[in-house]
Amino acid sequence: MIEVLERRAREAKVPALPTKIDVRRLNFFYGKMRALNEVNLAVPANAVTAIIGASGCGKSTLLRAINRIFELYPDQRAEGEIVIDGRNVLDPRYSLSILRRCVGMVFQKPTPFATTIRKNVAFALSYYERLGKRELADRIEDALRQAALWDEVKDKLDASALSLSGGQQQRLCIARTLAVRPEIILLDEPTSALDPISTAKIEELIHELREQFTIVIVTHNMQQAARVSQRTAFFHMGELVEVGDTSQIFTNPSVPRTQDYITGRFG
Amino acid sequence: MIVLRRKLADLIALVFAAAATLFGLTWLVWILWTTFVEGAAALSPSLFTEMTPPPGANGGLLNAFYGSAVMVMLALAIGTPLGIAAGTYLAEHGRHSRLAAAVGFINDILLSAPSIVIGLFVYELVVRPSGHFSGFAGALALAIILLPIVVRTTDEALRLVPNQMREAAFALGLPVWRVTSRILYKAAMSGIVTGVLLGLARMAGETAPLLFTALNNQFWSANINQPLANVPVVIFQYAMSPYDEWHSLAWAGALILTIFVLGLNLVVRFFARRGNK
Repeated sequence: MIEVLERRAREAKVPALPTKIDVRRLNFFYGKMRALNEVNLAVPANAVTAIIGASGCGKSTLLRAINRIFELYPDQRAEGEIVIDGRNVLDPRYSLSILRRCVGMVFQKPTPFATTIRKNVAFALSYYERLGKRELADRIEDALRQAALWDEVKDKLDASALSLSGGQQQRLCIARTLAVRPEIILLDEPTSALDPISTAKIEELIHELREQFTIVIVTHNMQQAARVSQRTAFFHMGELVEVGDTSQIFTNPSVPRTQDYITGRFG
Repeated sequence: MIVLRRKLADLIALVFAAAATLFGLTWLVWILWTTFVEGAAALSPSLFTEMTPPPGANGGLLNAFYGSAVMVMLALAIGTPLGIAAGTYLAEHGRHSRLAAAVGFINDILLSAPSIVIGLFVYELVVRPSGHFSGFAGALALAIILLPIVVRTTDEALRLVPNQMREAAFALGLPVWRVTSRILYKAAMSGIVTGVLLGLARMAGETAPLLFTALNNQFWSANINQPLANVPVVIFQYAMSPYDEWHSLAWAGALILTIFVLGLNLVVRFFARRGNK
């Protein structure tokens, strides 16, 4: 399975894709501590961009800036611009609800809500859209199918989401995110709490979702980055060191520090 | 030598700890035992069918049970929504504000305020202006006892909900009220219910705040604008009286109150345990 994914990643063509997210001179602060320093990064549409780097290098911070989830904490602050479809979403006037509907996020630890599988998926969906019973059921099924979870849960949609395995819970979180039909999906180490089989399933899923969505994945796992992404950005100490096509970053990086990290000499 | 000293120190500590435990438990068991023996002797079906009697006659505690139930229910209806709303403010909306910190501090003062002070406060606020004692005033005093308990437990229960859950819900783009009402309350439910039940248990036994507010009523009354009989004040008055019939009614009331509160605590444990799963 993993070999198939690796081959697919190699075969995936990387034409000049249009930019979906344009990060411009982004600085990020936790209180007085600067976590991102003048980051410029163009994320291509309908591709998977992997963000790699050692712990504390700012990769999760970048994700948390894109959907402004950091705003839950008053001491965190972002400066600069993140432009999605021509609009700076960091502008305080930009509606959080519109932004987060367009930009879904899946976290490291599966976070199912303490309710049924069905309600987990319907929760945000029924807030955004007024759907009839039939339509709602269809959309829930679509989302669960897209997340490759439908066959496992179709007979127990009203069971508690907490009864699922960790890998299933994570796919439920992905389904929940897909249900509102976002354009961008942020994945913050989505498999680091999962076993290898669940990880392979999620990677397969990412591969399938690539064509319809713009995906940004933060990962500690170098092989994972190589397997699932077309673009890779390497961060170090809050700065973007190098970004390029995944094949190039992993075979022929232009910065020695990237080479050191990828080959495991530090980090 | 050193091993011996260690073992000796251990033994002494053990003896002290056991003695202290025994000391504490002795009183508790003694109180429960006395209440049970005296109360059980006075138990009879007429407790639940007859009114509080005049001195020297037999009777029951029906009007007192009824009055207590009405006032406690009314207090729950007033105090629970207010307490949950305030606790939600403290935990969710005002998490980083100074105002919330001040409100939390004042709430803790209210939590430990002597209940007789709350009784006097409601006396000044309601009883004196209206010119008479009333069940409503009693319920209000009980609600003020309940309020800080619910505020604190709601606050704590919501704070125990992991931030990851909050982030995951907010990442879907939903507004605060929807995340709170649909996700956070559900996750914090067992904690909030525990708080309300503990508050209920506390209210059921409170006497001081009712002395100045609901007073007592020897007759059947369902009017919350009038003085209302209630179990704690009846126990207080009957226990202080010189009449044997009243004494035994007081014991019976005390036993039933104790069983009620113990039962509530068992329910609370059940909820707390379910919440931990």
